[in-house]
Amino acid sequence: MPEPQVPPLVIQDLGFRYNSRRTPAIEDINLQLEPGQVVLLAGSSGCGKTTLMRCVNGLIPHTYRGFMQGEIELYGKSVKGMGLSDISKHVGTLLQDPERQILGTYVINEVCFGLESQGMPREEMIPKAEKALERLHILHLRDKETHYTSGGEKQKVALAGVLAMEPGILLLDEPLASLDPASAREALLAFRELANEGLSILLVEHRVEDVLQINPEKVIYMDNGRITYEGDVEGLLETADYTRIKLPAQTVMRRAKGIPPKERRLAVPALDPTSEPLVSFQDVSFRYKADNPEVLHGINLDVRAGEVIAILGHNGSGKTTTVKQALGMLKPTSGHVLLEGVETKKTTVANAARTIGYVFQSPSQMLFAPTVREELAFGPENLGLSKEKVTENVDWAIEAVHLEQELPTPPLALSFGQQKRVSIASVLSMRSRILMMDEPTAGQDYWNYQSFMDTILQTPGFDAILFITHDLDLALTYANRVVVLYGGQVVADGSPHEVFADDEQLMQWRLLPTSLLKLNRQMYAQTGQFLRAETLSQLAG
Amino acid sequence: MLVAWNYRYRNSLIDRIDPRARFIFSFAVLLAATSTWNPLLLAIIFLFSILWYASAKLSWQDTKRGWLMISILLFTMIVVNTIITGGGAGGVVPEGGQLVWPEGFNLFGRHMTFGLTVERLWFAVAQLMRILSISLVFIMIPYTMDSRAYGVTFRKLGLPDRLAYTMELSFRFIPTLARNFQVTLDAQRARGFELDSAKGGVLNKIRRIAPLIIPVTMNAIVSSEDIANAMDLRGFGQQKRTWLYELKFHWWDYAVIGLAVLLLGTVLYLAYGHGMRLFEVPPWWYGLFN
Repeated sequence: MPEPQVPPLVIQDLGFRYNSRRTPAIEDINLQLEPGQVVLLAGSSGCGKTTLMRCVNGLIPHTYRGFMQGEIELYGKSVKGMGLSDISKHVGTLLQDPERQILGTYVINEVCFGLESQGMPREEMIPKAEKALERLHILHLRDKETHYTSGGEKQKVALAGVLAMEPGILLLDEPLASLDPASAREALLAFRELANEGLSILLVEHRVEDVLQINPEKVIYMDNGRITYEGDVEGLLETADYTRIKLPAQTVMRRAKGIPPKERRLAVPALDPTSEPLVSFQDVSFRYKADNPEVLHGINLDVRAGEVIAILGHNGSGKTTTVKQALGMLKPTSGHVLLEGVETKKTTVANAARTIGYVFQSPSQMLFAPTVREELAFGPENLGLSKEKVTENVDWAIEAVHLEQELPTPPLALSFGQQKRVSIASVLSMRSRILMMDEPTAGQDYWNYQSFMDTILQTPGFDAILFITHDLDLALTYANRVVVLYGGQVVADGSPHEVFADDEQLMQWRLLPTSLLKLNRQMYAQTGQFLRAETLSQLAG
Repeated sequence: MLVAWNYRYRNSLIDRIDPRARFIFSFAVLLAATSTWNPLLLAIIFLFSILWYASAKLSWQDTKRGWLMISILLFTMIVVNTIITGGGAGGVVPEGGQLVWPEGFNLFGRHMTFGLTVERLWFAVAQLMRILSISLVFIMIPYTMDSRAYGVTFRKLGLPDRLAYTMELSFRFIPTLARNFQVTLDAQRARGFELDSAKGGVLNKIRRIAPLIIPVTMNAIVSSEDIANAMDLRGFGQQKRTWLYELKFHWWDYAVIGLAVLLLGTVLYLAYGHGMRLFEVPPWWYGLFN
């Protein structure tokens, strides 16, 4: 049993350099965690957050090798000489993607995994697992197959698997990344509850604004492998770079005053409401198989040139299923989908690709070619374009994403952000009229996804853009039209100002009002449109 | 594309038998079927397999994809390899023998000669019984065995913890792999790729499926790092493991194991002790061709 006065985690002068790198990933890290504390660790990609977590949970040095300096103590005992299984009794880690962390086919098996590894007898492990499920209020999932749980449930199941081992310290690696706003809030409240019960929580997240809801006791900001700020929330709001992490809109507005924001001009043509729709959904319903329940119910939706549409909705609301209908990847069970006037039932996906360029969530799902040039040529070649035309399109597309120098590079050797841009370029090169993107910001940090969206929306060549997102702020700053799906139905469709008018309504759709939304509403009389905080600060008196 | 295993409880006889006893029986059939070419023994083993399969109450709907794969295998092995070319019968069927069409036959008005012998044709039948016996007892496993039971079953059958758990883990990730495959297929279709347009020779076909295989493989490799970390972080493989899933032997499980031992023992005894191992054609078979 740990003595009460000893802090659960003390880190002194910690540094680490991976064997494969020349420069250290982290340096001079000093940190202490008290029982019952939620400590928020913020910073952009590559700042060293992941390395620090690996040092604490023992993956460094047990799995990842390199040169380590300094000292880590768990409950007053140095981790040197501790095996992974000793460390795992004190430190529980929730990895970013619950899908890759869940090992059991059934919830109860997943939760018992760590206890099985400890060699615990069956009679002891079941009550412990049930208690962990109970703590997160998901005991009703006990005998469910993990494969059939929702995104938010999966994460809680994974967390229960960690809690069952009764660690005193919890490390949470970007736990909000794949959750819709309401699920993210529920997850945060669960973390707070655990801290109130005495656990020490180190929460890594760049969605700082969201985490502030649960009042973290301490905030740490990392940059370039070092801690550049440690203290209370107020201090962070004043010092952290608001283009790197997401701070509350009021803070950004106040701090950005006098700094002219970057010019942004949408590249889509002006909207003509009388033009023929490019895509038209007419009373579309859909089920995967005849004996499966219906997942889309009577969807009506027209997409016209000049529109930038954000599709919002909770996990499993039918967003991706709807977009796949437009491309003819799925065909409606009843109703019609017309693509430039032609029914998708009468055409092929390959043909539809001439009209719609569809970018999937993760670039690794599509990149395969030995060079970026060949990757970009794949689409237009499939469409049967001439050699000259293919070259012309490839050159145009690579220029649009500013990666000309990478044409001879293997796409898989690029950074995640660059891969994402290559995946967009490989769709651009088909010169489709509409760009559709599934969660374009997934897996990118705040700064990267902002600049990415800026680049895409300023890329000429598209008549309309449509993107699926969980992020309300992304929808309200980039889209001129918002469509909300709830339970397979379109429940709202209009300008951001119309759709985001009522807080209560938003909560019913499992979307939560953000500080930026509130600020925009207050200033709407003056602006007449929704803008980002930096722009608002120039307009405020 | 990928076979999605479909276990569900069917309240069958098999559902009541301990998985360990089931595996022992299946391996007994495998060993017995591969140790003899004797027509009588093969027929007995085949009969056992059919009864065993029937006791699982599997429907055709459930298993047809699995059987389709086995049919392809059977076709190549038996029709192509044994009947047409005769290569598969080498070393087992003695040289020479009685031709099925000693005078040749007329096909589309042309006279043909074909060296198929009565012995080789029986060999095809014997091989069919052999492979079907083995297929029957093994194809039913994924449909009749709870995915949670693999690890503990293999552990209790003597495999080390790590290996036993790996068997279970592979079942956990089959649906994930199938889903990733579908996503990549969709992503490439959105770029105008069509799977059925793969024309030309073998090399060209492989080149055409590279856009599917490479992303799926790369993703599997990348996510395996996370999976390994998730296991390490929960102390996997550091000490002796216990298992949540419980296995209990009943008297009937011992009876099943007894039956398996009896079957295998009898076949081995007759095959090696009484010369019933070698290939032989039953006399009535010749009668069919006179």
